[in-house]
Amino acid sequence: MRTFLVLSPVFIFLGAMLAMGFVIRKNSQKDRDADFSKDYFIGGRSLGGFVFAMTLVATYSSVSSFVGGPGMAWERGFGWVLFAMTQVLAVFPVMGIIGKKMAVIGRKIDAVTVVDVIRVRYQSNLLANLGAVLIVVFFCGSMTAQFMGGANLFAATVQGLLGQNGQIIGKASLFGAEVDYDYIAGLFIFSLVVVAFTSAGGFKAVALTDTLCAVIMLLGMSVIAYAILAHGGGMSGVMSVIGEQPHMLEPTAGGSIPVQLFISQWLLTGVCTMGLPQSLVRNLSYKTSGDLHRAMIYGCVVAGAMMFGMHLLGVLSRGVIHELPGGRTSDFVMPYLIINYLPPLLAGVAITAPLAAAISTISSLLLAASSSIIKDVYQHSIERKGRKADQKKLGRLSAATTALIGLTCILIAIKPPAVIVWVNMFAFGGLQTSFFWVFLLGFFWKKANFTGAFMAMTGGVFGYCYFMAARIPLFGFHQIVVGIGVGLVLFVIGSLLGKPTDEKVLKLFFPEQYPEGTKIEIPDKI
Amino acid sequence: MLSKSEQRGQAMEKMSYREKFVQMNKEAKATWAVMAVLIAFWWITGFGVSRFDCVIFNMPGWFVLSCLGVWVLSIVLVTALTTKVFKNFNLEDDE
Repeated sequence: MRTFLVLSPVFIFLGAMLAMGFVIRKNSQKDRDADFSKDYFIGGRSLGGFVFAMTLVATYSSVSSFVGGPGMAWERGFGWVLFAMTQVLAVFPVMGIIGKKMAVIGRKIDAVTVVDVIRVRYQSNLLANLGAVLIVVFFCGSMTAQFMGGANLFAATVQGLLGQNGQIIGKASLFGAEVDYDYIAGLFIFSLVVVAFTSAGGFKAVALTDTLCAVIMLLGMSVIAYAILAHGGGMSGVMSVIGEQPHMLEPTAGGSIPVQLFISQWLLTGVCTMGLPQSLVRNLSYKTSGDLHRAMIYGCVVAGAMMFGMHLLGVLSRGVIHELPGGRTSDFVMPYLIINYLPPLLAGVAITAPLAAAISTISSLLLAASSSIIKDVYQHSIERKGRKADQKKLGRLSAATTALIGLTCILIAIKPPAVIVWVNMFAFGGLQTSFFWVFLLGFFWKKANFTGAFMAMTGGVFGYCYFMAARIPLFGFHQIVVGIGVGLVLFVIGSLLGKPTDEKVLKLFFPEQYPEGTKIEIPDKI
Repeated sequence: MLSKSEQRGQAMEKMSYREKFVQMNKEAKATWAVMAVLIAFWWITGFGVSRFDCVIFNMPGWFVLSCLGVWVLSIVLVTALTTKVFKNFNLEDDE
């Protein structure tokens, strides 16, 4: 009965999202018959400010914002919140710096994906295809990790309810691999829902479910706050327990977070988040400049609330959970708190929050990965020959591709090979090194050209992954510093040596550097 | 946050394609400036104040000032940015 009560909010939430996906699919039929990709992959450029902000925030915040991060804060204290606050730059810069140019030029060239923009700006199919491949590979790695995160959470919940302090209660054999029941059940229940609504509903469904997810995340956060304060004897009670651990009160957590790590974090989860394609693509989806302005403010409010709130709650949970059951890592703090210190229904609401964080990330990555294959490779190869793609067929293929990518990631998540852990670890920084300079300099530096972009994309990713894999020490800095640094140097050298970009493109991207009245032409399709 | 009347007050301006880009470059520069201010504020309050033993809401003073502070400051500055610097214009062609 208790298990049922805990899980019922989760199931209501999953059901609601599934319904949203199919209703949207039904209502968009007309738009899709006219221009399928524009509706399915970018929602017909119809997002208002609120939904635009929520979809960007929800896509950015993942399971680790709700489980991993707060767990670390439980261990290290207030210094970890300081560390997490670098994410104050995760939302508004990508809108404020790149958002409008991308929207204006995107409308001119009818862009639906980030790769569309790259193709036109750098006049290269090679660079476009490389971008598409990097997106698919890194997104699949991240998605698998989010599937695993959600499934683990599910398993931890069920185990917390049924077992003794989180023992694994059953093992099953699946495809020759030993896995536990709860993990598999969780994986299939929640991940099939995500894949289904994304595949059916497309971008509009992703954006609207993201909005629902963001609301649930805030709601779950408040419930967790209640649990901590009610059981820890209010702020003074909680803080008197934490005061016994002096390292938790220091900004460097007793020296365990060196200053180099703080600097790296300002790049990795701050400035360079402007290069994440899942954020960039949303700049093609909003309706008016006013929507962008409002989204920047809402984004600051909501993203800040989540990052500050969840990590602070992680610290405060120390006042309730003094130590973890044996053998558990700090990832177990949040599920443990939720299951043991909340009445069943409220626990269900709280546990839905991290699930929502996972779902909102997966749906966006899944759709973007699918658009890379369908729009950037398949549809482009047809339209290149001067034909128009059959919109109905495009629809069927896209839904199938989305579902196929999702299912593949689910299967990988059942018994993830070691390489997936690596791909996921590389994904966040790898995407940034691939796209940060290509977009920033592409929009703001007239001399930026194909040679520079190609060298930065390949060299930056290679350098970053090599330094990550070989674990080369960098005086305590994170490898993102190398990836971004190498990328910039290569980009500048390549752009100065290479052939300048076509004049038509430059007039389109840099009209301010030409006299008023210069005729703007759309570059020929390549 | 913008009220309805302010939204209406921020009228759509008619601009040429070129003028829009001049404006967007200005907006981008201002956004970088806001980012720089936030980072500086975070460092100064995070590491500069920690040696003073002050406590706010039972929590360390440096923490409230830097972490809650940088969040509140981001909302204030971005609101100022979007109302004072950013301009409303048609994302489609005006010409």
